[in-house]
Amino acid sequence: MDGPLLNKDFGALVDDREAEGVFRVDRSVYTDPEVFELEMARIFEGGWVYLCHESQIPEEGSYYSTEIGNTPVVVIRQKDGEICSFINACSHRAALLTPRKQGKARVLTCRFHGWAYSCDGRCVRIKQEEEGYGGSEFDKSKYNLRRLPLTQSYRGFIFGSLEEGVPPLMKSLAGAAGWIDLMIDQSPEGLEVVPGSSTYTIHGNWKMQIENSVDGHHVSTVHRVFASTMRNREERDGLTGLAKTEGGRITGKVPSGAYDLGNGHMSIWAQHTTPERRPIYKRKEWLQANLPPGKVEWILNRGRNLTVFPNVALMDNPSTQIRRVRPISPDRTEVTVYCIGHVGEDAEARAARLRKFEDFYLTSGMATSDDMAALEDTFVGSHARSARWNDFNRGLHSMISGPDNLALSGGFEAITSSDSWENENLYLGFYRRWRDLMTTGGKG
Amino acid sequence: MINDPELLALVTDIINREAKFLDKRDWEGWLDLYHPDAVFWAPSWRDEETLISEPQTSLNLVFLEGRGKLEDRVFRIETGDSYASLPLDRTVHVVGNITLDSVSEEIVSASANAIVHSFGRHGRQTCASMYEYLLDSSENGLKIKQKKIILIDDAVAGPIDIYHF
Repeated sequence: MDGPLLNKDFGALVDDREAEGVFRVDRSVYTDPEVFELEMARIFEGGWVYLCHESQIPEEGSYYSTEIGNTPVVVIRQKDGEICSFINACSHRAALLTPRKQGKARVLTCRFHGWAYSCDGRCVRIKQEEEGYGGSEFDKSKYNLRRLPLTQSYRGFIFGSLEEGVPPLMKSLAGAAGWIDLMIDQSPEGLEVVPGSSTYTIHGNWKMQIENSVDGHHVSTVHRVFASTMRNREERDGLTGLAKTEGGRITGKVPSGAYDLGNGHMSIWAQHTTPERRPIYKRKEWLQANLPPGKVEWILNRGRNLTVFPNVALMDNPSTQIRRVRPISPDRTEVTVYCIGHVGEDAEARAARLRKFEDFYLTSGMATSDDMAALEDTFVGSHARSARWNDFNRGLHSMISGPDNLALSGGFEAITSSDSWENENLYLGFYRRWRDLMTTGGKG
Repeated sequence: MINDPELLALVTDIINREAKFLDKRDWEGWLDLYHPDAVFWAPSWRDEETLISEPQTSLNLVFLEGRGKLEDRVFRIETGDSYASLPLDRTVHVVGNITLDSVSEEIVSASANAIVHSFGRHGRQTCASMYEYLLDSSENGLKIKQKKIILIDDAVAGPIDIYHF
């Protein structure tokens, strides 16, 4: 598939001289169609990719259709509660099998020629089978749907792989698993995706959206207008409690940090100056009674952004978000965002969570819109061939190897830790993972 | 549908003025059309055919309760500090199909369709919406008590703000 690309030295696009304090990435990784083509084959179609959340396929026959790279995929809840995913294409002539993004069906019937498949992927009906294929001995099973070799949920977050020979999901998630735990451990009833979503297209490369999701360095410039707008709102309206917005992380010098979580997963955090404004604060007593103090501190008092390689960001700040990133082409990225909350969350906290989401996270909101504008500018700038390198050197001199004490208190592993979310140690992990997959076809 | 040409003329006037104020960047004029307790609401789509209906338990593209929240958007634009708002996109709103849907003592319900074309650094796009207005008629003239915007385009290209709707 990637034969013509094999002679190209994709490894040379990452200038990895950590000992000299240099880590740079060639800007053509964002713009080159050949890079993109190989990314689809080796990164997206070659390893674990986030698909959807279990709450989006609650019952037998519930399905959610998505993509892995260029491959359409449908995730289906089985009779026994298990989750399977299939290539979303009729075995006969490749028509999509689901008319909707999400839905429920006992049988998936191709709307083109009427072939039908059970939820476990068996071909159960071929229109005019006997006339077309002769005799009653015909074996329909050779037309069963192509099942993904691997589909697995990590505590509600479903991942799939088109490649069989990859390490187990838990191993692949590395330090990201502990960060996902910090979201899920907040409630014994689990998390649910809230109805409604927003999809938007960015004129930029998918890696820019992933990078931006854990870029602490832009917050005090790009989002200071969000903080000043909120301050103005609060003074004008005399707001209190959950109606107020946490602005301290944006404007102030607060404790913060950044982690390379291994296998390309990245995270940043910053201390809340006013944690009582977060919806989760209503569950403070339950958290203190049920979780170790180190974890409670992480959940209540630290805003957190996590990216799980290669295609999803999970945010737990004043509001909570699943941000799924879908590469369309080198210069187009589709992003779908969902709000997630605790099952059974009280009405006031849920409404506050949604309002904070809408204020900040959406392309029609007052912060994500500014992020998009900024990263679209970086995409334009990346076309300058005579200015070749993006720097990721910040804080390399001060990062520490392995997990710091805070990581240990939160129960997660890290390859490197940094005591400022402005630092860029985390991107070393991302681009080393990227380089390994692009050059050796390393499985992941 | 209500047959009241005189009222329809008033309703048409306020809807057209809103479009004009937004395109002309007359933020004060625009805000002045709104009642202090106004709701500005663009629901998201639950699925391909259904909008979300309950804003307190579902995600909206925009849900602003109170004119103050509209003032926030204007404040942000006017700071000159918003990356997405400098320079501002140019827009043209074309609003039509205005109908009076119901009239009670203090509230006039009306609807309209809108095509909004925008052009700027992040490209050009055209979005189509259905507007549903609740207009307060309790004092002299009409004030917008609620504007619900049903954006039929499910995927948006680039940042959008209140003046793109």
